[in-house]
Amino acid sequence: MAFTLVRRKSAAPDRGGGLPAGPLAAVLAVLLLATLTAAVALGSTAIPPAEVWSVVARRLSGEAPRPGTDDLIVWQLRVPRALLAALVGAGLGLVGTAVQALVRNPLADPYLLGISNGASLGAVAAIVLGLGAGGTLGLGLSGAAFAGALATFALVWTVARRGGGFAPLRLVLAGVAIGQFLSGFTSYLVLRTGDEQQTHSVLFWLMGSLGGATWQLLAVPAAAVPLAALWLQARARGLNALLMGDETAAGLGVDVTRLRRELFTVTSVLTGVLVAVSGAIAFVALMVPHVCRLVVGGDHRRLLPVSALFGAVLLVVVDIVCRTAMDAQELPVGVVTSLLGAPALLYLLDRRLGSGT
Amino acid sequence: MRIDIEDLHVAYAGRTVVAGAHLVAAEGEITGLVGPNGSGKSTLLRTVYRHLKPVAGRVLLAGTDLGELAPARWARHVAALPQERGSDFELTVREVVAMGRTPYKRAFAGEDAADRDIVARALTDVGMTEQAGRRFTDLSGGERQRVLLARAFAQDPDVLVLDEPTNHLDIRHQVELLALLRDRRRTTLVSLHDLNAAASVCDRLHVLHAGSVVASGTPREVLTPEVMAEVFAVRAAVVDHPLTGDPLIAFDHRTPTDQAPREHAPREHAPTDQAPREHAPTDQAPTGQASTAVASETGVRG
Repeated sequence: MAFTLVRRKSAAPDRGGGLPAGPLAAVLAVLLLATLTAAVALGSTAIPPAEVWSVVARRLSGEAPRPGTDDLIVWQLRVPRALLAALVGAGLGLVGTAVQALVRNPLADPYLLGISNGASLGAVAAIVLGLGAGGTLGLGLSGAAFAGALATFALVWTVARRGGGFAPLRLVLAGVAIGQFLSGFTSYLVLRTGDEQQTHSVLFWLMGSLGGATWQLLAVPAAAVPLAALWLQARARGLNALLMGDETAAGLGVDVTRLRRELFTVTSVLTGVLVAVSGAIAFVALMVPHVCRLVVGGDHRRLLPVSALFGAVLLVVVDIVCRTAMDAQELPVGVVTSLLGAPALLYLLDRRLGSGT
Repeated sequence: MRIDIEDLHVAYAGRTVVAGAHLVAAEGEITGLVGPNGSGKSTLLRTVYRHLKPVAGRVLLAGTDLGELAPARWARHVAALPQERGSDFELTVREVVAMGRTPYKRAFAGEDAADRDIVARALTDVGMTEQAGRRFTDLSGGERQRVLLARAFAQDPDVLVLDEPTNHLDIRHQVELLALLRDRRRTTLVSLHDLNAAASVCDRLHVLHAGSVVASGTPREVLTPEVMAEVFAVRAAVVDHPLTGDPLIAFDHRTPTDQAPREHAPREHAPTDQAPREHAPTDQAPTGQASTAVASETGVRG
């Protein structure tokens, strides 16, 4: 306890609401553009940033692309992938923030609600049972993953709703139990398949990857992430009230049961979309809101946009590392986020305990 | 504005906890709810701030039924201080108080100058202006309670509803908090565990017992030795407070009422391993000053 007290003194007493969010968001937005440019420029074939923007500008202005490999690499391969990284990162930042408010636990994670296990089972079933084979493999896989996510959402909903009101603990317990059950199924399917190539692609998918990025694949997350961001931002005050407790929120005029129900639906659908296009990327949704809370404070009106931007920057950077760290082979994104995330989380926990709470 | 509660029935966790309660919280008065544990005080208050829905009966705000107003509309008139403690999400004192503006704000709307004024005034009222930038979870229990009260003030309500606001506070902070309530002269509905605090701070009291109101009136009318015996199952004398003149309830901490006729038995301390609660008939264990009473009961019987 003495240790705690000593540490506590060092916490700045007048941090206010943290850094002003407006300038910070502007800085993050600039940073996002820079990292996106870097993500397109870097790779086995390096392309100068100026050339990156000239290709993008030609494409956006509708001019005929200059023939050559640069256009192919930039426009068909790297831009969709960088944008997918940004969208998934932003989505994970948002969904993490929202789920932490939904279950009123700063250590919660959207994967806690079982949705990603359902999506994984859907995807693995598609791979192993050979659904979506052929040219439409990417979309077939995503479709199966999203179907798995929605089915799990319906199941968790049914269990958690009993007794009314989606109490946080009940929601988490239902999610964890159903998630474990489904991941048992997934493991069984993976073991059953003797095909080494299949096992490899399943494992790669389970760990999270942005390798499947195409313009086609971008469409759904490009619509879902901004919509969810707006929806959540409109309810930022309600999320704040939920942090203090259901009774407090009710006293502040928030329809708690309805807000919880809607939050659970929106976060589940968004999680399903994200997992469907990128697999279950670990730790980002847990870590991003945490880090952002330390910087801008807990008010969701600031926390949501900052988490989305920071999540986007983080995942774009992580994907650059994944593509360039090893010569011959790509790393799954989830491997890098876990390697980064676990120590970061331990550091945060230590800080949290140190600050006396 | 006044609150009328008419024939209210509320269930909580599948059990009817409030069964046919009637009461009035009059305009500008501090109305106290007292009663033993489980008598339905918190459940009744939770219904007034709309955490729970009534099964039957009505809650009226200046004549308008609760069901006729949207939650946010209701919250502009009725602010609550529940017993919840909040959780650790890096909110500052100022942010917690500013939450009081929630029922007034549309989606995406920021705080305007009027909101900031009201929040600043609420912080001043509870003496927490200096602490506005601190993290809420770093505060002491007394400070937290004052901040939560400021949040209720920032709601600019006509009616304040407080559930055991002095719980977990030391005596000085209890006195401070109750003084804050008395100063405001707003319609206030407050449940209090401490009957002497209730006697000195409330204009009127309602005694709850098994989910209904069994006595109503001024503290002097309501807090009688008979009510103490029948509702709270303790022996007590009511005297005048030597400093304030308020009714002062002097409890007999030695004798449970089921042994009331008996004179004080010499107290024997039963060894702890022999003080088996499960052997004591729990339905007879008085609820008010339970620990003392149970100890002396087992002492007498053992």
